Amino acid sequence: MENKWEMLESSNEEREKIWRLNRTFAGDVWFRFRRKPTAIAGFVIILLLLFFALAGPAFTDYSYSAQNLEVVNIPPRMTVYDAPDGSGYLYITQALKVVWVNRDGTLGSQLKKVREDSEHSMTIYDCKGTEVGLYYGFKPYVMVDPETRVIFSSQKIWNQSYVLGTDSLGRDILTRLMYGTRVSLLVAFVAVLVNLVIGIIFGGISGYAGGTVDAVMMRIVDIISTIPLTLYVILIMVILGTGLKSIIIALGTVYWVDMARVVRGQVLSLKNQEFVLAARTIGSSVKTILMQHLIPNAMGSILVTVTMLIPSAIFMEAFLGFLGIGLQPPLASLGTMCNDATENLRSCPHQLFIPALVICLIMFAFNFVGDGLRDALDPKLKK
Amino acid sequence: MVRYFIKRLGMMLIALFLIILVTFVIMHSIPGGPFTSDRNVSKEVEEALNEKYHLNDPLPKQFFDYVGNLLHGDFGPSYRFTGKTVNDFIANGFPVSAKLGGVTILFVILASIPMGILAAIKNGKWQDMLVMAVATIGVTIPSFVIASILIYIFSFRMGALPSFGLDSWKGYVLPVITLGGYSISYLARQMRSSLLEVMGQDYIRTARAKGLSEPKIIIRHALRNAMIPVITVLGPTVANLLTGSFVVEKIFAVPGLGVHFVNSVTMRDYTTIMGVTIFYATFLLAMVFIVDVFYCLIDPRIKYD
Repeated sequence: MENKWEMLESSNEEREKIWRLNRTFAGDVWFRFRRKPTAIAGFVIILLLLFFALAGPAFTDYSYSAQNLEVVNIPPRMTVYDAPDGSGYLYITQALKVVWVNRDGTLGSQLKKVREDSEHSMTIYDCKGTEVGLYYGFKPYVMVDPETRVIFSSQKIWNQSYVLGTDSLGRDILTRLMYGTRVSLLVAFVAVLVNLVIGIIFGGISGYAGGTVDAVMMRIVDIISTIPLTLYVILIMVILGTGLKSIIIALGTVYWVDMARVVRGQVLSLKNQEFVLAARTIGSSVKTILMQHLIPNAMGSILVTVTMLIPSAIFMEAFLGFLGIGLQPPLASLGTMCNDATENLRSCPHQLFIPALVICLIMFAFNFVGDGLRDALDPKLKK
Repeated sequence: MVRYFIKRLGMMLIALFLIILVTFVIMHSIPGGPFTSDRNVSKEVEEALNEKYHLNDPLPKQFFDYVGNLLHGDFGPSYRFTGKTVNDFIANGFPVSAKLGGVTILFVILASIPMGILAAIKNGKWQDMLVMAVATIGVTIPSFVIASILIYIFSFRMGALPSFGLDSWKGYVLPVITLGGYSISYLARQMRSSLLEVMGQDYIRTARAKGLSEPKIIIRHALRNAMIPVITVLGPTVANLLTGSFVVEKIFAVPGLGVHFVNSVTMRDYTTIMGVTIFYATFLLAMVFIVDVFYCLIDPRIKYD
């Protein structure tokens, strides 16, 4: 532009044009959502957990069910003793066996027991030809030279074979954690999907039909919501037996009441608006109006309810697993892993704290995302 | 108002009837009779057992007999423990659970309401952040995780508190914290948001304009109105405490009703499952109803439709 003072040509249309960036509703929500650090953190955690659960098993050498009774209850960080020849370390298991540990931290096999020396409170093991003694006279138990009775020097190293240790049957906790997270997320997603479908259909019909139909349907919802749902999930589990399918059915058929209420409320407030009237005028069927016009407009609050339902489904699944009426072993879920670990909480707290931490992470993540979504979708905050 | 309560009571009874019906149908639709087991029981013995427990009657007759017995407070015999009735289990377990639950409710109320008030008064300051952080943790962490962490720290590491049993007051500390954790967080959040909302009302501004001191405004004007929504959620809170006690009783080896229930589920003792479910449901419905009545009495603005 050479002459800055020349008048610009302006048509009427241009003067009327809104120059502000035109964002779609989804773009608008995303803009508000991403300004909340907790919500973004939750979102990232969910993505990472999904990756961990779905792609993780491809990177481990272990299967979730393979037991290795030689290496039971090994923690992620081990106290080890130097082997007499210095080519590796020795680790004392809780069952008073001695496991060979290579210099790089990977586990070898158990040492052979030579004899019992109860006079000196020692068990003698064979370590590559030389004899080493496990002294159990007082705690903590130590590795000693049986001749000179000198304690080998000890240090703490990380377990490289089993990064998160092993459980009471010698299974790799990391691998089980991946499968457990996968099962927990799967249960939650499918159960919530079932809830979503039932809730949308029930709430949609109730809200759109109105009148007597609405009154009757809402009375049904009222009555169902007075029933303690935990009891019913347990009862359904009793009939269907334990297993993945039964958990999904039990959770899926029980929690739709909230969803139905939310959908009904939204449909009720939307159905008298002009666009519905317009759709009715051009002769759209009830199904079209409900599915094409009303439900998409109610999607915001439905989405918030969904993100809030997922943690409660995970919570419930962990609860059932912990009570021992969840999955059948060797299948793992986060709840059953916690349940298995309570027996040796005193000696191996890591077995419980690791899956518990993942449960908490999932709960936090979904709650934060739900909070963020609710704020982002709340029309009251819109300028 | 009386009409409203009668209507509520009617709905409660319908719900109760449905619960009994559904529980009954569920329990009788399980394939195989209650005495089908791995052991080889001769036909005659099974027949005699079925006869003894009236299992050969037509189902509707069995149902109405069962409901009739329930009305007399008789939950029937246990199929797994000969000579024991479901009433025995409830009579043994419920007082223990109720005592634990009662202490917990007291603790929840005494802890959560001051927490919520503090957070609301110091809105946006560090006290508020602290209370909300604790409340978020309490809502998101499952109770069995809290229990395990508490046991590990206070029983195993410090040895200060017992990890099982309710023999002394020390035994109550950990179960009560575990059981109440969720409810405390939930109620504190509720209290905070409701008090914040009330503090923005016109009549609070009037009270300030009148020159009342801040404590007086909060106690006399704000708190009374802010308490109302909090009381509503007390009913569901009782429900939460009761069902939450399954886990707590299991972890802390408390001989309450929850443990009996979970055991009967794993042992497939059908009459006990049925009886305890119905007992729980009745108790919960009654609690919700009482809270509802109370709620209507303290808030005259409620419309009874």
